[in-house]
Amino acid sequence: MRCSYRKKIIYGVITILIFIIFSHPGLYGRSSYEFIEKHNILKYLHEEVNVNLTSNAFTNCDYHDIINDETTLSPNLIEGDLVEGHGIRDGGEYIPQDCRPKFSTAIIVPYRAEQLRGFLVYMHTFFRRQRIHYRIFIIEQVDSRPFNRAKLLNIGAAAAINAGFPCIVLHDVDLLPLRPSNLYACTKQPRHMSSSINKFRFVLPYLTLFGGVISIRTSQYKMVNGMSNEYFGWGAEDDDLYSRLRACNFKICRFGPEISQYHMFSHKLQRKGKLRSDLLSFARKRMAADGLSSLHYLEVATVLHPLFTHIMVDL
Amino acid sequence: MVSSALTIQDILPFRANNKKVDMDAFLPFIVLPFLLLIATISRTITIIIMVVIGMGVLYVYTRPRQKNRSPFFFSWTMSSAVTMFLVFEIIILGLLEVTQLENFIFLLLLACTCYFFYKMKAIADFELATGSSKGKEYSPVLTSDSYYCQVCQIEVNERFFHSIWWDCCVLRPNYVYFLAGQICAFATLLFGTNLGLTTVCQPFIFYGLILLPEDCNDAYYEFDLSLGFVTCVYGVGYLFVIALVLIRQLLIYLPKYSEPQWRKLVNVLNV
Repeated sequence: MRCSYRKKIIYGVITILIFIIFSHPGLYGRSSYEFIEKHNILKYLHEEVNVNLTSNAFTNCDYHDIINDETTLSPNLIEGDLVEGHGIRDGGEYIPQDCRPKFSTAIIVPYRAEQLRGFLVYMHTFFRRQRIHYRIFIIEQVDSRPFNRAKLLNIGAAAAINAGFPCIVLHDVDLLPLRPSNLYACTKQPRHMSSSINKFRFVLPYLTLFGGVISIRTSQYKMVNGMSNEYFGWGAEDDDLYSRLRACNFKICRFGPEISQYHMFSHKLQRKGKLRSDLLSFARKRMAADGLSSLHYLEVATVLHPLFTHIMVDL
Repeated sequence: MVSSALTIQDILPFRANNKKVDMDAFLPFIVLPFLLLIATISRTITIIIMVVIGMGVLYVYTRPRQKNRSPFFFSWTMSSAVTMFLVFEIIILGLLEVTQLENFIFLLLLACTCYFFYKMKAIADFELATGSSKGKEYSPVLTSDSYYCQVCQIEVNERFFHSIWWDCCVLRPNYVYFLAGQICAFATLLFGTNLGLTTVCQPFIFYGLILLPEDCNDAYYEFDLSLGFVTCVYGVGYLFVIALVLIRQLLIYLPKYSEPQWRKLVNVLNV
């Protein structure tokens, strides 16, 4: 009897230990996190338009109904076509005609050999519901080195800054926003827009995640000297940007999980970058010397396609 | 001719008899992880390995029952549980896509499963050791209710069946625990494989908070993803087997178990 009593004690202790070990918060993704409530979103948005924007509309655009829009778009829209008379100018720029927009956003998309047509059709259909002034920049890496997402974003950001955009959205080409209420405009703080992706079970893997789709004001982006140019291959360039923002005392914000829903297309996963952990550990020290200020590349061509501005570069 | 299971004893006849038991008990802890690792190579090999395991299980069921209890099958159950648990907690959780609440629910279901099966085995061992049913008088004379369990080599009252995978007899006193354990195991596996597959594969929202896996093409790209996927596929196979066990219990044994109660009820109603 004493033996079985001891056995029960041992089993009980093992069970409790297992519960304790596997309750560590660092082991989990987060289904809930701190975010800006829907009724506060408009207060937190930073209203600024492109210096070159000319609009003949008489009234300002109202965004209340857009923020409160409960609809979800289907990713199957990528197989469709744009509406007739879409009014998109060469270079992928669109200005709403029925009202004067309050937000001007440059969407910067690093790209190499992915499905582009579907992304563009979807995004232009998506943006029609948002009444913002926007322009889509596709930055294509044409050399054969590993994909350097951060440097491509720096190049795109520099182009957007030259074009006078006050707000940039750094956007992965395999992510589609599902909710039109997810306004592509900058908030006062940099915002992590893609916090609820289908691939990650609509869960935020960790609170300091800053990859996928982010929005940041160009003034803030210049203040942190953009992103690091050294991350060739997959991984850690978004964590590097996050540590730069923290070094300059910027906090990031998010909208709620329902608004921030994204659909990620499965695609061939890239090779992980070899030096990413070493680079990340010295992110803050390299901030001033490595970024927008040290951007060196060969611009192969810049073409104004009907739906996008295509910048081809050799890194 | 009764065919016996191929053990190390058969291959190496010079080994002492007591070693046979130890090897049979440890073999599944080596064989199962090895099979799962092989299965991570490609989809074709996964299918082959799962079919081989399925055919192995069918072979076990078609063999005439051994006289001696073999620890191999119980060890296979244990090694399956331990392997699936470790893969889930280390690999699936490592991808940071499962929330704390979901893992807590999983651990709770697993704890209930372990508890019910532990009680089932404890009661079975108690019954076999003392030879008496709790709260009932044990009849030394073979009645119509008592059987001789060939595998345990003991006469047990109201024997239902012998479970080789749990290495014990399931009798009237522990039948409820057996059933509860199977139901909890079904729930644990269903929940665990859903979490695992929706983590490794591309999920979609089925209804409300329920996600289902949609596209598993990328599962074999990295080793940890493929190991998680293969273990979940094995778990789904286990789920299928448990479902069959539950259905069998429902169709065959529940009426048998509740027959005396039904008879009493019918008698009461007839009077």
